[in-house]
This record gives sequence, C-alpha cells and structure tokens, in this order.
Amino acid sequence: MADTIYFLILVPMVYLAAAVFVVGIVGRVARILASPPHGSTLRIFPARRASGLRALADTFLMPQARKHTPVFWVFLMLFHLAFLLLILGHLDLIPGVGLMPADSPHMLGGGAVGVAVTLAILYFLLRRMQGPVREISTLGDYLLLLLLLFLALTGGMISWANSWNQANGGFVISKQDFGAYLASLLRFDFASPRDLLPGSHYIVVVIHVFLANLFLMVFPFTKIIHTFFAMPLNRLRRG
Amino acid sequence: MEAALQEKLKGLMASKLSREMRLYLDTCARCGICIEACHAYASMPETRYTAVARAETIRRLFRRYFKAEGRLLPGLGETIELDDAALEKVHETAYTCTGCRRCMTYCPFGIDTQMIQGIAKLLLIGADREPKLLTMLADMSIAKGETIRDTKGAFEQAVRNLEAEVIEKWRGEAGREAIPVGVKGADVLYVALAGKHSIIPAAAIMNAAGEKWSLSYFEAVNFGAFVGNPEKTREISRRIIDEATELGVREVAICECGTAYRVMKHQTGRHPFEVISFVDLMERYLRDGRIRVDRAKLDGSRVTYHDPCQMARNGGVIEEPRRVLRELAGDFVEMRPNRGENWCCGGGGGLVAMGEKDFRMKSARVKAEQVRATGATVLATACENCHTQLSDLNEHYGMGVRVAFLSQLVADALVQA
Repeated sequence: MADTIYFLILVPMVYLAAAVFVVGIVGRVARILASPPHGSTLRIFPARRASGLRALADTFLMPQARKHTPVFWVFLMLFHLAFLLLILGHLDLIPGVGLMPADSPHMLGGGAVGVAVTLAILYFLLRRMQGPVREISTLGDYLLLLLLLFLALTGGMISWANSWNQANGGFVISKQDFGAYLASLLRFDFASPRDLLPGSHYIVVVIHVFLANLFLMVFPFTKIIHTFFAMPLNRLRRG
Repeated sequence: MEAALQEKLKGLMASKLSREMRLYLDTCARCGICIEACHAYASMPETRYTAVARAETIRRLFRRYFKAEGRLLPGLGETIELDDAALEKVHETAYTCTGCRRCMTYCPFGIDTQMIQGIAKLLLIGADREPKLLTMLADMSIAKGETIRDTKGAFEQAVRNLEAEVIEKWRGEAGREAIPVGVKGADVLYVALAGKHSIIPAAAIMNAAGEKWSLSYFEAVNFGAFVGNPEKTREISRRIIDEATELGVREVAICECGTAYRVMKHQTGRHPFEVISFVDLMERYLRDGRIRVDRAKLDGSRVTYHDPCQMARNGGVIEEPRRVLRELAGDFVEMRPNRGENWCCGGGGGLVAMGEKDFRMKSARVKAEQVRATGATVLATACENCHTQLSDLNEHYGMGVRVAFLSQLVADALVQA
C-alpha cells in the first residue's frame, strides 16, 4: 500500500503538478492579456532615462526594499538567489545538463544554498509573526512559508543523509540515481522510483517531492505568481 | 444586501478590471515594506492606514467573486462577502487614502493603491454611499458645461470686476484687457479655479510676459476624479478640451491644482494642444527673461516647497517650481524627503472638499513635523488642496509659516519694466 502511495506521489503526481503549474500560469497570463488596457500612464516621477533597465533593476535588485527595510532586503536577496541556484541544481540532476563537473558527487551549491534558503524562510516567518506585518498576514501567508520551509528542510535532510556514506566512498542516493529518476520521468516510462532510489531515507525523498508537487500546484493561484508579474509591474511604475 | 445590488456592484467591479488592475490585484506579497509609506500610518500607526491593508479589502472582494481559488477556498481567510459590513470597510479605505501614491515608491512591485481605491470609490457610487458633496460638486461642473451659453455673460462680467486688481499688480498695455476671455487663436488657454486667488496673480504674470492668453470659462478642478466616477471625470475634462479645440489654442495651462493637472495631462489622451501646468509657464517666462522678479520681496524669509503629490510624483512637475523659487528667494531650503518621495499633505483624494478636518489634522502630523524641521517661514506650494490643508495644519500645529501659492509669490515680486 505504502509503495503504491509513494509511486503515485513520485510519478503521476509529478505530471499532474507540472500540468497544473503550466496550465495555471498560461491561464492566468491569458486572463490578464484578454482584459482591456488601462489606457493612461501609471508611472511615477521623476522620469529617468533607460526606464526599461531600471525596471529590470527594480525587479531583480529591489532597491525599494534595500532603502526602506535593509535587513529584510538581505534575506530577500539571499532567498531569491539561493532559490534560483536550487532550481538550477535540480535541473543539473538531469543527465547531460552538466552545470557541475561530471565527477562531482555534490549538487550545485553543495548544500549551502539549501541552508541559505532555510535561514531566509525562517527569517520571513519570524518577521511575519510580529509587529504590523503580523497584522497584515493571512493564513495563506503562513501556509506558503511553512510549505517552503518543509520543502527546504526535507531537501536539506536528503542532502545531509546522502553524505552519511561519503566515508565509504559514495553517497547513499547519488546524483546519478536522482538523474535516473528524472530521466525516467522525462521518458514517461512509469518505472518504479524505488528501483532507482536505493537509500533508506527514501521516505524523505517522497515527502520532498510531495511538497514540491504541492508548491507547483499552488504556484499559479497564490502570490508566488509575482515571479512572473514583477517585471511588467515595474515597467508600469517606470513608464 | 439585496441580490440585485450585489450583482450591480460586481458588474461595476468588473468594469474596473483592466489588464493593469488585474496585475495589481494578483501580485501583492503582503511583505509589508509599504507599511511605513503612508503619512496616515506614520502619524497614527494603525494597520488600517497601511497601503497593503487598504488594498487588501478590495483584493478580498476580487478573490471572492473573480478568482476560482476564492470561490473554491473562501475559508482560507483571504476573501470577504460583498455586504453592508464590507461596504463600510470599503468606505473607510477609500476615504482615508489621499491617492498620493507614495506607497508606490516603497512597493517592490510598484503597486498603485490609488488605482485599487478606484474600485472602492466606484462601489460606493454604485451603492449610493459615496460622499454626496463630491458628486454634487462634480454635477455642478458638468451643468456649467451644459449651460455655458446662458451663463457666459455673467461670467464675463464677474471677470471684468477683477481686472482692477490685476492692474494693481501689473500695469498692462493701454486698451488691452487685463483678463482676456474667449480669445480665438490664443497661445495659452489658462484654466483657473473658481476663485480670484487663482486668476489675479496668474493674469498679472501672463500680462507681464506679454502672453497672448485667454481665460477658460471653466474651472480646472475635477471633482469627478475625487469621487472616483470615470464618466463624470471624462465629462468635466471634455468641457475644457472642447473649449481649447474650438479656440485653437497652442497650450492649455492648468492652474495650481494637482488633480486637475494630472487628469488633463496624463489621463485624457492626445489633443491638438499641449497640456502644461502654470508652474511650467512661470518657469519658462523666467528662463526666457519674459518676466523679472525682485528677490528683495522675500529678503529675510526662509522658503521651502511642498511638492503636491499629483503635480510631482504623479505629474512630473518637479524641478520647475524649484527653479522658480531659486529666482525668487535667496534662502530656499528643501524639506526632507522631497520631490517624488515627499510626504503627502493629507488633504488629497477629496478630503479637503469633504471637510474631515479631524482626520486630516491627525493623519498629517508627520507633514507638520517635516515642515517645522526646515525652519522655513514661507511654505510655498502649487496646489489648491495642498494650500488649504497646509494652512489648516499651520493653524492646528502652530507651524508659524506663511503658506503661499507659487504664483502669488511670483506675482508679488514682478518687476515693472
């Protein structure tokens, strides 16, 4: 029974999550594009040259946050950079991507980026639980942060548990093992993940993937959508 | 609330869901960076006065009726029903926000709270709960446009009665009208407010510059924008656009009224004429040497300038008033922050017209402190609303300044050739 549930999470649910993610985002963007344009400028002044570049800088460097909440900004940058690296690190597991040297047993960032993301999420959570930010927070805000926190923690646990066997010359579940699992998903061959991921902490991998699936499925319907909307919004502000 | 009214309000809300509005409503991360941006919150630290809390009321209605997740999972606490209690909340958020858009300079996404409050104001109109005074004033402006043929004579007579006061400030050429009206082919159509303080200094300045100008039959202020009624806003603007087109003027100069300027400059589309602010015009006259001013008039005065939100941050008239003031005053000091980040005076969004003095005074404490910190004795500004609000603050907080329109300072300092 448990093996069936693990299979459902590690294979069909991954496809479902990816489909919800893509269809959800496309639907959301299409809904916006189908709406009539506002018709007049929404910019603020003073006007500056190279407004497109400035909108880009606003999106990726968040100067407004740096100016008004510098400590929060440090954690925001840490979180977003580390999250980006984590995405790249996971993509690197797919055979043939090759961001890390082929003979390296480590994921991109060597576990440090996971720790960085976890620390940033903990800061976000603590910040949200006090002062005026607490008063503007909703249940959904906490649930999202908890989802991210447990996603990062289980990812960290997998990384850490894998290193237990390092003294004996190898990882419990190696990059190649994860690569085989991802390649299987890409081939849609519905192979049993248990045969590809041999470690005793397999259950943690299952939980991690389950949480990742949830993350992908709620992505288009929650504020995480700002990933896609931050740039057009900053363009509106810059004019 | 009756089902029919609820449906009507949902329809009104839908009418505001432009591409940009959907982006604004979809994106807030509730990060709280905007919390400190609002002058009302800085003066009275209550969560309801934050940009995020104000917008959240509208977002919750949006999610409830226009988002699948809000319909499916209302229990997550991020939706509210459109009922009487919600409308009370909507009223509070709409009419404690001055629409200054200072929060846009804090938000990492640049979310426009004023635009979101446009939904709130429209819902209140639909529910017949908007401030009736604002609607009445908007209707009066529109009626004036409809009856202009009948009232032209009376208007022209009232203007003639002001000419002696213009001549006191500037002796024009003999035989030339001090306040010309209905001049075909004028270079500038000046759109004033309904009050001689908005006409006399401007007339003296334009006469001193030898401008070929004409006074508009209509007042500049747009109460349709204050009450958040898009149709009335358009109708009020249209009177002036039609007049300018009919006269064939080159430029329309909007008096010192921030909302009037922003609406006409940035929200009415393209025209066969340019829209400028009267501050632009004064700066141009000084730069081109068409008028000269006597700096001695402000000797011994320390002058500071309050950037009206709709003129500066939302209109782009930022350096021009400073250049004018540097010509006028030897001791000009900036308040901090200034320009696009200046604190709102607390009088915008229709609050001055509505009265609301208790809230206006309490919510603008931070403005009074900002002015006091400059040590200025003269507080110049270029907006009618700001002037009224700053004058009230001056009295309430004992700021000890003389609040003056920029045009008034220039007109008082004109040097007769």
